[in-house]
Amino acid sequence: MRHIIAILLQNEAGALSRVANLFSTRGYNIESLAVAPTDDPTVSRLTLVTTGNDAVIAQIGSQLRKLIDVVDVMDLTEGAHFERELLLLKLKAKPSQLQALQELVAATMGHVLSNESHSFVIELTSSEAQVSRFLAQVAEYAEILEVVRSGALGIAH
Amino acid sequence: MVVQVLADEGVDVIFGYSGGAILPTYDAIFVHNQDTTRRPMPLIVPANEQGAGFMAAGYARASGRVGVCVVTSGPGATNTVTPVRDCMADSIPVVVLCGQVPTSAIGSDAFQEAPVSALMGSVAKHVFLVTDPHKLEATIRTAFELARTGRPGPVVVDLPKDIQTWQGVFQGSGTLPIPGYRRRLQQVETQQLSPASIEEFFSLLGAAKRPLIYAGGGVINANATDSLRSFAHGLGIPVVTTLMAIGAVDTMHEHSMRMLGMHGAAFANYAVDDCDFLITLGARFDDRVAAVPARFAKNAVAIAHFDVDASEINKVKRVQFSYVGGLDDALRRLTAHALAVHFARDWSEWHRHCAQLAQTHRMNYDRESALIQPYYVIEELNRLTRGEAVISTGVGQHQMWAAQYFDFKSPRLWLTSGSMGTMGFGLPAAIGAQFARPDRIVIDIDGDASIRMNLGELETVTTYDLPVKIVVLNNFGDGMVKQWQKLFFKGRLSASDKSLHKKDFVKAAEADGFPWVRRLDRKEDVPRIVEEFIAFKGPAFLEVLIDPDAGVYPMVGPGQAYDEMITGDHIVSRGKGPTRPPGANEMF
Repeated sequence: MRHIIAILLQNEAGALSRVANLFSTRGYNIESLAVAPTDDPTVSRLTLVTTGNDAVIAQIGSQLRKLIDVVDVMDLTEGAHFERELLLLKLKAKPSQLQALQELVAATMGHVLSNESHSFVIELTSSEAQVSRFLAQVAEYAEILEVVRSGALGIAH
Repeated sequence: MVVQVLADEGVDVIFGYSGGAILPTYDAIFVHNQDTTRRPMPLIVPANEQGAGFMAAGYARASGRVGVCVVTSGPGATNTVTPVRDCMADSIPVVVLCGQVPTSAIGSDAFQEAPVSALMGSVAKHVFLVTDPHKLEATIRTAFELARTGRPGPVVVDLPKDIQTWQGVFQGSGTLPIPGYRRRLQQVETQQLSPASIEEFFSLLGAAKRPLIYAGGGVINANATDSLRSFAHGLGIPVVTTLMAIGAVDTMHEHSMRMLGMHGAAFANYAVDDCDFLITLGARFDDRVAAVPARFAKNAVAIAHFDVDASEINKVKRVQFSYVGGLDDALRRLTAHALAVHFARDWSEWHRHCAQLAQTHRMNYDRESALIQPYYVIEELNRLTRGEAVISTGVGQHQMWAAQYFDFKSPRLWLTSGSMGTMGFGLPAAIGAQFARPDRIVIDIDGDASIRMNLGELETVTTYDLPVKIVVLNNFGDGMVKQWQKLFFKGRLSASDKSLHKKDFVKAAEADGFPWVRRLDRKEDVPRIVEEFIAFKGPAFLEVLIDPDAGVYPMVGPGQAYDEMITGDHIVSRGKGPTRPPGANEMF
């Protein structure tokens, strides 16, 4: 099962690599990983999407809590939460499909950031599943040139 | 600055090898030791930094205090990766200080530069790279705190040369903020077995007809052996221990069922198979003990698990009762409760059963053989040391023979590389242990292959005139590897037979200045020579040419359960033996 795990991590040399190491040495998956500062300058927040059965997810939590730099670990999927991912997408539209593309972007609440002779940069903020769905649909109307995804971010209610 | 924190932490010996990037700290130790008003910190210099790491580990294991190892950058640091990982795997508290190139040179592929933070980050409990000299003092202090608290482990501090030479005001106190770790530690340390948990535990214990304690190294790390003995012996619960917990209870006690596991006593493993309630204390169901978790303690109606590390609960084996917290306090509360409610059960039938198992399936070997049997040598040593000597080992057959045939009255006498299984551990660990326990006889029981790995440390023994006793049980090869090759690789002894080697261990020991050196090759000389060896007051080296075909039995094969245990020709089995050959991809 898919889990979104939020980790508060002290900003210390090597802290991020210790988290990444834990996943690789113990054979856990990382599907996406997003890291950024918080309002506390000594602490960063990592949002990590992983999959595993209950025993694996419990081990991931316990092993993360053994890392000295880890301040806190939360499994957001345990409770009600919001999930968002940012997509930046560069594509070239087929002229005949221009209308359909623009309708799709509007319908999914995306934004066109630039439009230069049928070459678009589009921004979309949505759930990871929605972003994936949008990417599949948009491929029908345009040639995808570059995909930039932030990985999921999450916050509990 | 660094040395003052070491002094404040009560460090009384440092193991380490010098080099360019650590020279400022070595100089500071020299200056400290010249000041007659201060307690000296002798600097013990090994042949190789791996030796220094294992000396610090041996010191820590034998004393319960934090061992300290100080090495230089680059190769000095990488040579200590093995002991650091070994300490992590066995939860041994050490602090390793590594010199590093100056901060301005880090990342430039400088001379003797290695990515210590990245390397050690993967194997240590924690690693600090000090880049702000104002944090130096607090970092060293925090390293000691981390090494000894919670589940103990190795902590590495990477010290760039310019950080070591920085001059600042010594604060005398202060640690780094590590809020998450300290909060979790406090939760564990202030945790108490609740009355409800105590009730639940005693209802399981009260219902049991055949309770058994399975004690692991955590009992020794927690200094909980006294409370274990009060609890187990007070209530009359038999105890099996892991390799790491040998000595947690007196191995000669009537309720000691000795070591369980792959090479555990047959009677210990049968007791595990027969128990109906297994009480796990600071042990982790690892693959040497529970190769097939589903078939481990298969008749146990319930298993209880006490550990200081939450990640060990339900990691391998699902349990019915668990408690995360300090073992000493938990065991004291259980004993107090038992006394308060006058808890008593008649387990005499179970006691008789265990005594019968221990009698019927006792350890044994070919006593009539004309060749020197390794077990006989250990029995003769044990007759003289009577469970009071510190015994260290390398890794392999000799390690298991020592675990099986030596007695241990108290904890911290048995020093062995359990989880990592590092050949070469025995000699440097014995050196470190002799500094921790100058009052005790320290014996390194080693194999001809294991001792080669750190043979350079023979010189360290005589340099410091340590009365360390070394026994090399020579079977001309990697005996355990040969045993496996005979059992599972049709006897093809690929790279494990050393009978054509020209090595002369006696000359080697003499060359390193050992005043007492003997080669023992006649069975009838064993008692006399062993007695002379133990009686000698200084460094002593004894090579014993043992039966090269001597095996380690019992043996639970890879991927097999206790009822498939091979007991060999001299130990009585009650099982059917292996029912199928082990799979090629099983654990080894």
